[in-house]
Amino acid sequence: MLMIVPLNTLRPGEGGIVVNIVAGSYARQRLVSMGLTPGTTVQIIESHSMGPMIISVGGVKFAIGNGLAAKVMVRKL
Amino acid sequence: MMKVIALTGNPNVGKTTIFNALTGMRQHVGNWPGVTVEKKEGILEYRGQKFLVVDLPGTYSLTAHSVDELVARDFLLKGSADVVVNVVDATALMRNLFLTMEILEMSLDNVIIALNKTDLAEKRGIEINVKRMEEVLGVPIVPLNAKEGIGIEELKERIYQMANGKLKAHPVIPTYDPEVEREIEHITAALRNTPLAEKYSLRWLAIKLLQRDDGVIKLILRHLGKEKLDEIMTHIEEVEERYKRAMDLIIASQKYEFIDGLMHRFVRYSHEQGETFSDQLDRILTHPVYGLLALFGVFYLVFKFVFTFGMPLQELLDGAFSNFGEWLAPQIASEILRGLVVDGIIAGVGSVLSFFPLVFLLFLAMSLLEDVGYMARAAVVMERIMRKFGLPGKSFIPMVLAFGCNVPAVMATRTLDDERDRLVTMLVNPLIPCSARLSVISFLAGAFFIERRALVAVSIYATAILLALLTAWVISRFIIKGEESPFIIELPEYLVPSWKTILLHSWERSKEFVKKAGTIILLGSIAIWYLSSYPVEIGTGQSYAERLGTFFEPYMKFMGLDWKAAVGLLFGIIAKENVISTYGIIYGNEEVIASVMTPLQAYVLALVTTLYVPCIATIGAIRAESNWKWAAFTVFYMIALASIVGIIVWQIGTALGL
Repeated sequence: MLMIVPLNTLRPGEGGIVVNIVAGSYARQRLVSMGLTPGTTVQIIESHSMGPMIISVGGVKFAIGNGLAAKVMVRKL
Repeated sequence: MMKVIALTGNPNVGKTTIFNALTGMRQHVGNWPGVTVEKKEGILEYRGQKFLVVDLPGTYSLTAHSVDELVARDFLLKGSADVVVNVVDATALMRNLFLTMEILEMSLDNVIIALNKTDLAEKRGIEINVKRMEEVLGVPIVPLNAKEGIGIEELKERIYQMANGKLKAHPVIPTYDPEVEREIEHITAALRNTPLAEKYSLRWLAIKLLQRDDGVIKLILRHLGKEKLDEIMTHIEEVEERYKRAMDLIIASQKYEFIDGLMHRFVRYSHEQGETFSDQLDRILTHPVYGLLALFGVFYLVFKFVFTFGMPLQELLDGAFSNFGEWLAPQIASEILRGLVVDGIIAGVGSVLSFFPLVFLLFLAMSLLEDVGYMARAAVVMERIMRKFGLPGKSFIPMVLAFGCNVPAVMATRTLDDERDRLVTMLVNPLIPCSARLSVISFLAGAFFIERRALVAVSIYATAILLALLTAWVISRFIIKGEESPFIIELPEYLVPSWKTILLHSWERSKEFVKKAGTIILLGSIAIWYLSSYPVEIGTGQSYAERLGTFFEPYMKFMGLDWKAAVGLLFGIIAKENVISTYGIIYGNEEVIASVMTPLQAYVLALVTTLYVPCIATIGAIRAESNWKWAAFTVFYMIALASIVGIIVWQIGTALGL
């Protein structure tokens, strides 16, 4: 089953593979250079209804704003 | 000519530690010409040869979006370095090698990889076959544990060899899908007969053009003309159409795929780890509620530490300066010269310099929190709150520093990677009451509101902070507009700090405070001394300062203050604690202040002192970090704000019969 959802809809413990980033070029470049690029696996460590969520990408932890996370499309694992 | 060694790498990879290990104490900090990015340079001496080591700003990529990236990239692109040392974090190879590939794509053959944190990687079950990695990447690799100094000698040796032409890299370069490669080939062919071919790697230019890099687009437009460029752009759009993705995403993901393919040949992850201690700690420290509580706790301790140890030192220094002045006075025969040196220079510069211990300790505490890895967590917790006022969570750090002293706080805005965020943070910073203002507030509150002095002090702090946040909101919304910076921040591993790095860092920073503040304070002190001693000594009512005060008296009346307050505020521009001591000079005794003012007047004076023009050192820092225009803006804005608030409070207060 192919489920493509925005990253911010995932819950802690869930993960997904990035398929696309639908943000402006500035935000996109930031994400890409930090390792959040199509094909990479993202794990959700922590998320709160408001404020940034904590994710792990390639062994590195990031805090990412909810608004930005909403622009990262992932295939749910 | 000294050979130049450039250090480059992602943030948090230990670049600074390596830089310190290579250069020791022989380093200095400056700015890159035209931009405010910090430039660290130092001298490495090895086998009798001297090298200039340049620490480039830490970046994740070389696509120029921030000034940092642009500086790093231009430096490498211009071939300014004889050896490029790319510091790579062994615990996050994939992401780090992304930057490595961007560097190698510039077709540099003078790159050395410093593979840092190998001890941590080992602990986490990441096995790296360095020999294989060297073969696969075609670049000399030195494994390091920089914190312990392991591998540094080897690194020096390799640098020495490469700088002297005895060692060369034969780097591997990423290859992309045939479709992308075709585009690269197409652009390269078009560029082949232009002068660009001599200066740049055409493949690199082609890739950057595909990524729609602004700088490269402009460069190519100049050489190929609009028609040709448009044709290429149309091509790119066609490819994007087929992939259903933007070209920079296509290139980035293929670059990562390429890196992934390489990594399989030299890395093995032996065991997957479950939840680590660091994960558990993060659960608390980034939590919206517990995280905030922890934050308050941490900063309470920081201030406790800074003030417990800093205040006595400050008083000690202050005393030392005045003793020095007293000792020096009789040695100078000329009365004018004596006044200038003792009352002007020593008193003025001394009162600001006495804050050095506070500034140093504040930096020490902040560097420690940064090194341990806590600052990023603090930024996460504050993000939600600060963003409402148009500020990023990261600007919380300079704002907190400002409670100690606005000068280092303004300097600390450098840690913000977005230029707009940086400017807004810098401009509202002086509204945060610093420790000098604390001394005025506590003096007035103590003298006039004995029982409710804490409440009075808190109300002044609250007003100032509220106005700072409102100002940030207004500025970011109406004055410096722009795209809101996307929030993503790396949470580095918690680490045991390296004292050497922390001390060196705090020393560098606080030294800059003295240097930067120095010249402007000196000029300001002399000017104020002149105003207060000519044509007749202050206290007679005839000095220029007092005449100025009298001139402003009608204006001061609107907020219930008199000419003495005007003189005090004038002197307060050097350092705010002068506002009170001026009364001492005019009346011969500070304590007299309690008998010549009503509580409401004292309250207004405390408020206005907090809000009006920052001290001269802060103005200097703002000028140094931005330009005269913004420094002047801050001055006028704060005068206006202080006047408005002062007038409102006084008018309402008198109407209420206070």
